[in-house]
Amino acid sequence: MSIVVANGLTHRFGRELALDSVDVVLDTGEHMAVLGDNGAGKTTLLRILATALRPTSGQLQIAGLDAFRERRRLRHYVGFVAHAPGFYPALSATENLEFFCVLQGVDRTHVEDALQTVGLTAVAHRRASELSRGMQQRLAIARSILHEPKLLILDEPDASLGADAADLLGRIMHGRSVVLATHDQALANRLCPRTLVLRHGRSLGTATHLRVVR
Amino acid sequence: MNPFRVALAVARKDLVSEWRTREMVPALAQFIVLALLIGNFGFQIDARNAASIAPGILWLALVFAGLVAFGRTFAAEKEQASLEAMLMTPASPVAIFAGKGLAASAMLVVCEAVLLPAISLFFGAPFSAGVVLAVLLATIGMAALGCIFAAIVARVRARELLLPLLTLPLWIPFIVAGGQAVQTAMGLPGSYDQAIGLLIDFDILFVVLTSLAARFVLDE
Repeated sequence: MSIVVANGLTHRFGRELALDSVDVVLDTGEHMAVLGDNGAGKTTLLRILATALRPTSGQLQIAGLDAFRERRRLRHYVGFVAHAPGFYPALSATENLEFFCVLQGVDRTHVEDALQTVGLTAVAHRRASELSRGMQQRLAIARSILHEPKLLILDEPDASLGADAADLLGRIMHGRSVVLATHDQALANRLCPRTLVLRHGRSLGTATHLRVVR
Repeated sequence: MNPFRVALAVARKDLVSEWRTREMVPALAQFIVLALLIGNFGFQIDARNAASIAPGILWLALVFAGLVAFGRTFAAEKEQASLEAMLMTPASPVAIFAGKGLAASAMLVVCEAVLLPAISLFFGAPFSAGVVLAVLLATIGMAALGCIFAAIVARVRARELLLPLLTLPLWIPFIVAGGQAVQTAMGLPGSYDQAIGLLIDFDILFVVLTSLAARFVLDE
């Protein structure tokens, strides 16, 4: 069964065409990578799939629901790691996650598990502003799994993560449906059986371990 | 999900951040004292005209301090990309808006705690519970309007310019009713009860309207 079905997703920023009629189908439990150069439309596509951005045209269904009409209902379902970590610099890692637990409507006990999963237990008391870029990225990943979402949308989560990026991402992706945008083809091959290739906002088709099967 | 819990969590987060960084309140308090100093040198104030001039200076200082306080509420969230993270949760945008408004109002109330005794000190204007009540009532409605416009302009580059242009015209009712209430509380003729009644009406009207608008402003 498909968890994500997107048809003809098109998005314009003013006159600029960022995404041109892209179709995406993701089965439940499937992991799909999105590859493409800078400006290919990866972030735009992922923001639409995460329901953070409304496309100019096209349809999107997540778990059988219209993703734009039922956006708020789907928030429980979707975890999103965006380009910018988006934390409160004066709050500690734990306080940041506890705050998002309240907003997600989940128990604060999830914080400890999430911090342990991403390997931040030792710096949990440190303010977000005192964390390195890689640690902030780990914190963003921890936030995205606080509410145990079934679908994860990860926009270049490997940025600044370091040598164990693939292991960490493998751990959080296990048992979930995932769309992962990255520049790292090796990482995409390792974590995702299928890859969608974008160029200038258009889909070039999907590939299995970079053997294009248009 | 309990919207009150969400609103309180948002307000608490903003207040804890402010307490730890002390970015805004000390600067606002300093601004207020400077505005009063300028007022003190700019006007010939004595015991006879203090009650007529002091309320004007009070509202001027409050309005400009409010613009800074409310302007930062959503601008900071936008700059650190945390607004989207909040909106990507199932929490109600109205609850998030209420929490932001609550925190901004609390910061302005702290500034008012400096402003009101200082106005009494600088101008010798009588300081009473009536003045405090009028200022607090005006703060509620001004906060609701200030925050909704701050949320609207947070997405544009010229937000510092746009915020006063949008907010000031709608703050005029609070300045008129609040000014009248403060003047009568300081001993000038007029109906204090009528002015306070008007402030309460404006508060209800604008809190309801901005809460309804918040969903569309934040969600889209």
